[in-house]
Amino acid sequence: MSGQNQTPFFIGYLPIPHGLRLFLVVVSGLLIGGFAALALAIGTAQGNPGTGDFQWGWGPQEVTGRLEIRPYPLLHVTTGSKHIPAGRTLLLSGVGKKGVRPRVAKLDGRLVRLKGFALKRGEIDALQVGDNNKAIVALDGKAPAVKVEPLGRWRLKGEICDGKCLAGAMRPGRGLSHRACANLCLIGGVPPVFVSSAPVDGNDFFVMGDSKGNPLPPEILHHVSVYVSLEGTVERRGNIMVFKVDLSSLKVL
Amino acid sequence: MSVKYSPVQWTQSKLFYDAIALALVVAYVLIYLRVAPTFTGGVPSADGAIVRARAFGTCAFLLLTVILCIGPLARFDRRFLPLLYNRRHLGVITCLVALTHAAYVLNWYFNFSSTPRFEALLTSNTSYGQILGFPFEAFGILALLALLVLAVSSHDFWLSFLTAPVWKLLHYAIYPAYGFLVAHIALGALQSETNATFAVVTGCSVVLVCRLHAAAAIHETRLARTATVSASQEDAWFAVGKLTDFEEGRAQIRLLDTGERVAVFLHEGHLAAIGNACAHQNGPLGEGRILDGCLTCPWHGFQYRLSDGCSPAPFTEKVPTYNLRIDGEVVLVDARMNPLGTKVDPVPLPLVTQGAGA
Amino acid sequence: MNGGSMVVWLATLWLYAGGAVAAVFLLFGIDRVDGNARGAYLFRPLLAPGVLLLWPLVLWRWWTLEAVSGTSDDAAYDRGRYQAVRAGHARVWSVLAVLVPAVLIGALLMRQPVPDSKGAAVRLDAPAPKQ
Repeated sequence: MSGQNQTPFFIGYLPIPHGLRLFLVVVSGLLIGGFAALALAIGTAQGNPGTGDFQWGWGPQEVTGRLEIRPYPLLHVTTGSKHIPAGRTLLLSGVGKKGVRPRVAKLDGRLVRLKGFALKRGEIDALQVGDNNKAIVALDGKAPAVKVEPLGRWRLKGEICDGKCLAGAMRPGRGLSHRACANLCLIGGVPPVFVSSAPVDGNDFFVMGDSKGNPLPPEILHHVSVYVSLEGTVERRGNIMVFKVDLSSLKVL
Repeated sequence: MSVKYSPVQWTQSKLFYDAIALALVVAYVLIYLRVAPTFTGGVPSADGAIVRARAFGTCAFLLLTVILCIGPLARFDRRFLPLLYNRRHLGVITCLVALTHAAYVLNWYFNFSSTPRFEALLTSNTSYGQILGFPFEAFGILALLALLVLAVSSHDFWLSFLTAPVWKLLHYAIYPAYGFLVAHIALGALQSETNATFAVVTGCSVVLVCRLHAAAAIHETRLARTATVSASQEDAWFAVGKLTDFEEGRAQIRLLDTGERVAVFLHEGHLAAIGNACAHQNGPLGEGRILDGCLTCPWHGFQYRLSDGCSPAPFTEKVPTYNLRIDGEVVLVDARMNPLGTKVDPVPLPLVTQGAGA
Repeated sequence: MNGGSMVVWLATLWLYAGGAVAAVFLLFGIDRVDGNARGAYLFRPLLAPGVLLLWPLVLWRWWTLEAVSGTSDDAAYDRGRYQAVRAGHARVWSVLAVLVPAVLIGALLMRQPVPDSKGAAVRLDAPAPKQ
């Protein structure tokens, strides 16, 4: 490098040589400017996580309805609140990354009153049931039957997510970078949901179950957040769709 | 060092350096978190913790890109050497930024569950057998561990305690760390992000870093090939070059077949041979300058007397000296290094050659 | 105990062992192996995280330094300080300069596009007539 022999010689503990000062100022300026520009470019390029969110502003919600636990706990609301009218079907989860199945196992088909905070993303309604004993109260009285409308056998393409994060507990609550979080929710008992790329009868969001309508096996965790195609029967229960999948039909797209 | 250790030996240059490094981080994070949202026109933003995790994560990646560019740039253009001088502080700052990213991820994605956070991090996704949905967090953990090991062993004590070659070897972990980080990004963020901007930035970083390091490696390999000398069978003397090859105040560097490098300096009409690796961080002494009669390392300014390879008092660093002689027009060096501290009288140039220059 | 909690348990154990080594080394050992550390205390907390993570390396160097101190191996030990590892750079980057771009390009090629809505929902069978 004999051509560089005239380069001023920098020694850390001595003042910076004159010949180097301008160079270092320019390099520092370029670095800071470059970082600022990249922050703006990368910061403004973040994807839209959608409108789902906790509805803290509504305050705690108290709703009554018929509880169903297969494939996953749902509440068909009969007596709603200001924000959750009767006739809606709520996806149920506990506080944090857990489901409510152990707490409602004996209440299948019963009339119950639930207390908690609501989550909403478009047509998806969910309720995070409070942790205290009074959050789930079994009521006397008959729970009205829920209309089940079979819609046939379908092949759907889309993504398996956890219902709570998708409904707005995390933003974004889907995609591969959210996968471990979704798995953690599913392990904790939060209902898995399927987000289809095309709607069935106006709905593109489905609560999942196995072909017999039971909870999905743990193997499903390997396919969360990846685009897959799945076959199974679709039925409308109240105002929510249930997709009972045949896991052997699963194909990664 | 041969004075008592202190937490940091501050110099004016280090203060400037750290101020600029911190300015990079502060400018990046503030613009990402405060300015960028004002440009997105009402599009809902992700959770605060996720946006902050993104800001610190991308910042750490860019800082690592800068760190990895400094070495090869300084090899091709000596004006970049001041950036190398305090690179360790930049590394520690990068590690702290990466830790902040990890803390946001851990306390958000892996929180709120009945599984403890660290365990959740390791057990929630175990699809190691597939590429799509691979637990990319594992690559992030490996990269962070490497950054941590480098950051915690950055004090000069570690250089002296482990010796520079062991320390350097340990700090080679920065290279696989970059690879792990690229895998972490490519299998994580880039899979779910719909906007191409960060993919383009990542691609530019990879091209820049790989191009520069490949060029430096090729350059160094060529240099080693042309400059390697092997000691002859009977004795260990080998020719460094002709008298006319030498320039006042500069060195000729030769790689010995033992793997060591020897630097032969011409200083005030005398030739002296000394080990090329600085005792501090194995910096290339042969690319240094002679100041106040002492050879000064281009990396951190450690100084040695050419006659005995010792640092002037109160410092106690030593580099080996080599014996040399002049045979006609040819300068010969004995490949066997002298015991540390051996005084070798510099060999005067024959009067005819002096001032002839190359 | 599953794999994850085992790793966390081992990591905790590693750090506890590191804590013990750090206490002994930073209070007593460091004075024996490095003259420049004698009488210098402010910098020692800065070394603690390093000992915590790298304690086997610390024990190995400590043992080596104690063993060579004052013996004829001292010179051999010091010679080791000048075996620069610069040549490793070319070897490392001959692999990384290929591998890192390949990982990035491979991952981007594997990336799944959002499924086209056309054909994303196909009815295979009508509901059974009895229902």
